[in-house]
Amino acid sequence: MPEGPGIAQLDLELRHIRKRYGDFVAVNDVSLQVGKGQFVCLLGPSGCGKTTTLRCVAGLEDPDDGDILIGGRQVTNDPPWKRDIAMMFQDFALFPHMTVAKQVGFGLEMLKKPKAQITARVAEVLKAFEIAHLAERRPSQLSGGQKQRVALARAMITEPRILLLDEPIGALDYSLRETVMLELKALQKRSGISFIWVTHDQNEAFSLGDHVVVMNHAKIEQQGAPDEVLARPRTAFVAGFIQGNNVFAGKAGMVRDGLLDVATAVGNFRVPLLDLAAPTPGSALTFSVRAERLIENPDEAVPNRVALHCLTVEYFGAFRRHVLEGPGGMVVKYDQFGALPPTIREGDAVTLGWMPENGVLHRAPPA
Amino acid sequence: MSTIRPRSAAAFWLAVPAGLWMLLAVVLPVLLIIWVSLWGGTSVSPNNPITVENYRRFLSNENYLWLIGDTLVQTAMIMAITGVMGYCIAYFLTVKVTSPAWRLALFMAFVIPFWTSTLIRAIAFVPFLGTNGLLNQALMTLGIIETPIQAFLYSRLGISMAQVSLYTLLASGPVVYMLNSIPPALREAAMTLKAPPIIVFWRVILPLTLPGIIIGQVLVFLNVLADFITVTTVGGNKLAFLGNLVLLFYEGSQIRMTAVVSVLLMILMLAGVATALRIVDIRKVGS
Repeated sequence: MPEGPGIAQLDLELRHIRKRYGDFVAVNDVSLQVGKGQFVCLLGPSGCGKTTTLRCVAGLEDPDDGDILIGGRQVTNDPPWKRDIAMMFQDFALFPHMTVAKQVGFGLEMLKKPKAQITARVAEVLKAFEIAHLAERRPSQLSGGQKQRVALARAMITEPRILLLDEPIGALDYSLRETVMLELKALQKRSGISFIWVTHDQNEAFSLGDHVVVMNHAKIEQQGAPDEVLARPRTAFVAGFIQGNNVFAGKAGMVRDGLLDVATAVGNFRVPLLDLAAPTPGSALTFSVRAERLIENPDEAVPNRVALHCLTVEYFGAFRRHVLEGPGGMVVKYDQFGALPPTIREGDAVTLGWMPENGVLHRAPPA
Repeated sequence: MSTIRPRSAAAFWLAVPAGLWMLLAVVLPVLLIIWVSLWGGTSVSPNNPITVENYRRFLSNENYLWLIGDTLVQTAMIMAITGVMGYCIAYFLTVKVTSPAWRLALFMAFVIPFWTSTLIRAIAFVPFLGTNGLLNQALMTLGIIETPIQAFLYSRLGISMAQVSLYTLLASGPVVYMLNSIPPALREAAMTLKAPPIIVFWRVILPLTLPGIIIGQVLVFLNVLADFITVTTVGGNKLAFLGNLVLLFYEGSQIRMTAVVSVLLMILMLAGVATALRIVDIRKVGS
C-alpha cells in the first residue's frame, strides 16, 4: 500500500477505505480522488455507505483499513479538529445555547483569532449570507431555511479546504430546495472550496456535481461526470437507480458486426459491446435503454423492437411518461417530449423500438 | 392523547382531589406552624397574643446563628462533592459506556440502593463506618492502616461520607437526563469546527447540561437541609444541624421554638430554590 504524501493537487484522496461494524460492512474498498475545488456528489440509497464514507473523511469514524489524504497529506489517524475540513450536518446541528453571531464565530474562536478580527469577520459573513438581522437570535427562533444558512456560514467561515455536506437540503421545504441548490452551487464555484455532498436524491447529484459517485452495498458502483453516468450506466444497479432507464435481463448470444445478440423473455435485441469483452455465449447479462430513446412504431431499419400495451400515461409538462407492459409482464417506460401531442392512450397496443447504439451493456456488479 | 383542555371544567375537577389533599396535608399545617411560631405567652392556647419575640430571641443567640452557618457550610460542601461526583458518574454512564447492556446494569447498580428507605440506608452506615466496621477492616487488611480509625463513625467525617453516598444519585440523575437529550451531532459539529474534546465539553456539553446540574443541586440542597436521620444515626449525638434542632426543641416540649426553627428552615429552602430558578428556567427543561 502506498505510504507518504499523495498528489498535492488533489484536495482529497481516499485509498481503499473499509469500515465494518461487527458483521455489517459499511464501506468496502472505496477509492476516490477529488481535484482542487471540485463538487463531488456521493449518491446512493440509504444504508449504501455514503454517509459513513463522509464521516471517515471528517474523522468522525475511523476506517478499519485504507488511507485518507487531504491536500496530499496523510490524515488517516488525525482527529476531526486537526483536519482541514468543515461539515454541514443533516439537521444542521446548531448549538442551541449560542446566538447566531456566536455560533458563526465559533470556528474562528477555536483557531484563536483576535477578538476584533472575529467580530469583523462574523459581521462580514453574516452579511454575505443575508443573515445579519438574525445575529442575536438563537436556533430555536429560526426557520428551516435560516438554520441552513447559519449552519453553512458557520462551516464556511474558517475557509476549509473541503466542505462535507450530509444531505444538506434534505431538511428543507421542497419549494426552497431548488433556490438553495443554485445558491450553493454558485457559492462553491466562487469560493473554490471542494464540496463533498451526500444525497439519495439523483436530481441533486446530477445537477450539482462535477463528479458523481454512485454507491450501493458499501461499494462504488460507478463514478464519473454526471452526463457520462446518465448516458452510460455501467451496472444494472446504476441503471435501475437512475430514473428513466429500462433494464433488460437476458442471455448472451454471438457478436456480429460489433453488436452482441441478447435473448430476453420479450425478444432478441442487438446491443453494442462498448469497451467490454465479448461475454461467453449463454451467460446471463443485463443492459439498459433510456425511456426517451425509444421510437414509436419503428420501421424495418430499427432492429430492436418489442410489442407492448399501454398501462398508464403521466404528463409532467416537460415530458409524457408511458408505462407499458410486454409479454410475460415485463414493464417498459417510454418518455415522449411534452410539447408533442399525445399519440398513445391507456389500453393501446403499440410497438416500440430503439437503434442498437442506444443500448448500454452492463458490467457485472463490483465483487 | 388527552382530550382534556387546560382551564376546562373537567381539568378543574380532576385537580380537586390532589388540591384538597395538598391543602389539608401541606398548606394548613404550614400555616399552623407559622402561627405557633408567633405565639406569645407560655400556654398552649389559640388565645395567645401574636409577637415576633420568639424569632428575636432565637436570632440573638450566637450559638444558634453559628449553627445556622454551620448547617449551610455542611450543605454547601455536600452539594459541591455530590455535584462533581454526580456529574462524573452521569458523564461516564451516558458518554463513556457505549454498550446498552452495561449501561443498564451500572445504572441499576446506582439506583437499586434507593429502593430502600432513607432511614435504613442511613442506619446501614453504622456497621460500615464503625471501629470494627467494614471500612476499617478493609483498610487494615490492605495494610493501609494498623489501628482502626475512630473518626469514621460518630463524627462529621462519617456524616459527610454517608450524605455524599446518599445524595450523589440526586445530583447525577438530572444530569444523565440532560446529557441524553444532547444530540451526538452537536459534539461532532464542534469537533469539525476545530474544537478539541476538552473545549467541546466546556463550550457545548457543560452549558447544555447546566439545568440538570442546577436541578440536582436543588435536590441535594433540600435533602441535606432536611436530613436529621443521618446526623443522629451516623453522627451519634455529638453534632446537630438545623434539622436536629427542630427535633431537640420538640423533644424538650418547646413548641414555639420548634415552630421558629421549622419556619427558618423553610425560608432557607425557599431562598435556595428561588436562587436556582433565577439561574435556570426549570420549566424549559425537557421542551
